[in-house]
Amino acid sequence: MGLMDQVELPQPVKYVFNWGRKYSLWCFNFGLACCAIEFIAASTSRHDFIRHGVIPFAHGPRQADLLVVSGTLTDKMAPAVKRLYEEMPEPKYVISFGSCSNCGGPYWDSYSVTKGVDQIIPVDVYVPGCPPRPEALLDGIIALQDRIQNESLKDRMADRRKDPITLGADAPLALGSSS
Amino acid sequence: MSEVLARRDRALTPEETEELLRDRLGEQVGSSVQEYGVFTLWIHPDGWQEAARVLADEPLLAYDFFDSLFGIDAREDGFDVVAVLYSTSTGNRIALRTRCEGGREAPSCPSLTDVYRGANWMEREAYDMFGIEFPGHPSVEPRILTIENFEGWPLRKDFHLASRVAKPWPGVKEPAELDEDGNVIEREVRIGDAPGPYDLDKAMADQARQRNAPAIEEAEQDEDTSPDDPDTPAEVATDADAAAGAAAKAEDRRKAQADARAAKAAERAGADSEPAEDLDQETYDQLIAEGKSERIARSKAKAAFIKKRRAQERAESEGGADSDDGDEGDA
Repeated sequence: MGLMDQVELPQPVKYVFNWGRKYSLWCFNFGLACCAIEFIAASTSRHDFIRHGVIPFAHGPRQADLLVVSGTLTDKMAPAVKRLYEEMPEPKYVISFGSCSNCGGPYWDSYSVTKGVDQIIPVDVYVPGCPPRPEALLDGIIALQDRIQNESLKDRMADRRKDPITLGADAPLALGSSS
Repeated sequence: MSEVLARRDRALTPEETEELLRDRLGEQVGSSVQEYGVFTLWIHPDGWQEAARVLADEPLLAYDFFDSLFGIDAREDGFDVVAVLYSTSTGNRIALRTRCEGGREAPSCPSLTDVYRGANWMEREAYDMFGIEFPGHPSVEPRILTIENFEGWPLRKDFHLASRVAKPWPGVKEPAELDEDGNVIEREVRIGDAPGPYDLDKAMADQARQRNAPAIEEAEQDEDTSPDDPDTPAEVATDADAAAGAAAKAEDRRKAQADARAAKAAERAGADSEPAEDLDQETYDQLIAEGKSERIARSKAKAAFIKKRRAQERAESEGGADSDDGDEGDA
């Protein structure tokens, strides 16, 4: 990335640069359980997140910008997630997809399940649900893209992360009322 | 296992199998029980390996498929190990069960890896989950199902779940939980409790009744008040009450729906009555008078009707052809 982590880009350049980054998110799916099926559904023709510029099935973590952890993360698997995350080049983003990867979900008292992927890697967007609908993933992707558009790459590279986004945290009970 | 005599049609019954095994092993074979559809044989740990070997090698039995092996926590009695064997030639399935030696402190059970190589990882799993040692096993370490430095044996009943220590399980653990004196704890229903299926059904039925009842009443009222309708909006208009307007609209919609429903019902009734017209009434009456059953009379009358109609159509088409010619002549 050269000087970008040391110099703040001029505003117009930053705008174009971030615009380019947010619409070419190479996505690496860490599918661990049933949520991975929803992820796959989001990548196929009906929901089709390629129209948002998310490119699924990166060749490996070294070619990926976005890591989607979908499913139950066990302590046994945790080192693998940590390692693959560290193999990804900066700047990198993480979406925690589903209750299990958010907080352990229904396995909150299990002896073998990690209580949330955020215990080992930093998370940018939490998508709640068990499993969430593909639309929820699209919502999370759009929230992440908004953040990428408005962020300063210098801050990001200097590891000054913003607080993670939790979908639905502002209006947790507003699902039923449409008015 | 050079010569396999076992066949599906000559498969030994569980009782014969037990007898054969008792003949070979003597005192090592304990009681037998038919549990959950599987014939289970209790074996003393000393005869554990030998029992599996006989079942595998005996040509009449030929239990050649190692199905599964798992541990059971028997509380203060220690631990049990169950091995399920299957015979691909007879289709029989048998479970061997043994009580581990060493109690709760150091449970151990002879390994079956010499007889079935497939037992290897299943015994490792039993070691991972219950801490049962398997003398004769190549190596149960390192652990394969948990992380390597995991402490404790997670499927033992006395294993403490760290999360449960911090936050107890919300609710009852068993369908009938017992207190210290052995009495069933009856939990009082509180607000926010999830309704059971029966309660849910009742609630839904109530809801449906409430939703439908006003519609029915209003439909009856509408018929009475419909001539007055032109007057009522004028009164409402002075108030300019949006809510009243909405209510009136909703009423209209409901009325339209009711009308549509009635129309549909009438249509359906019409459709039902149509086949009745296909009957030839004369034949029908005649057959009924003869004492035939209604069903037979109806079917025969129908046949007669169709015959008559065909004849009529034929006559009409001939006549029609004539009339067509006539028309052309006129043109």
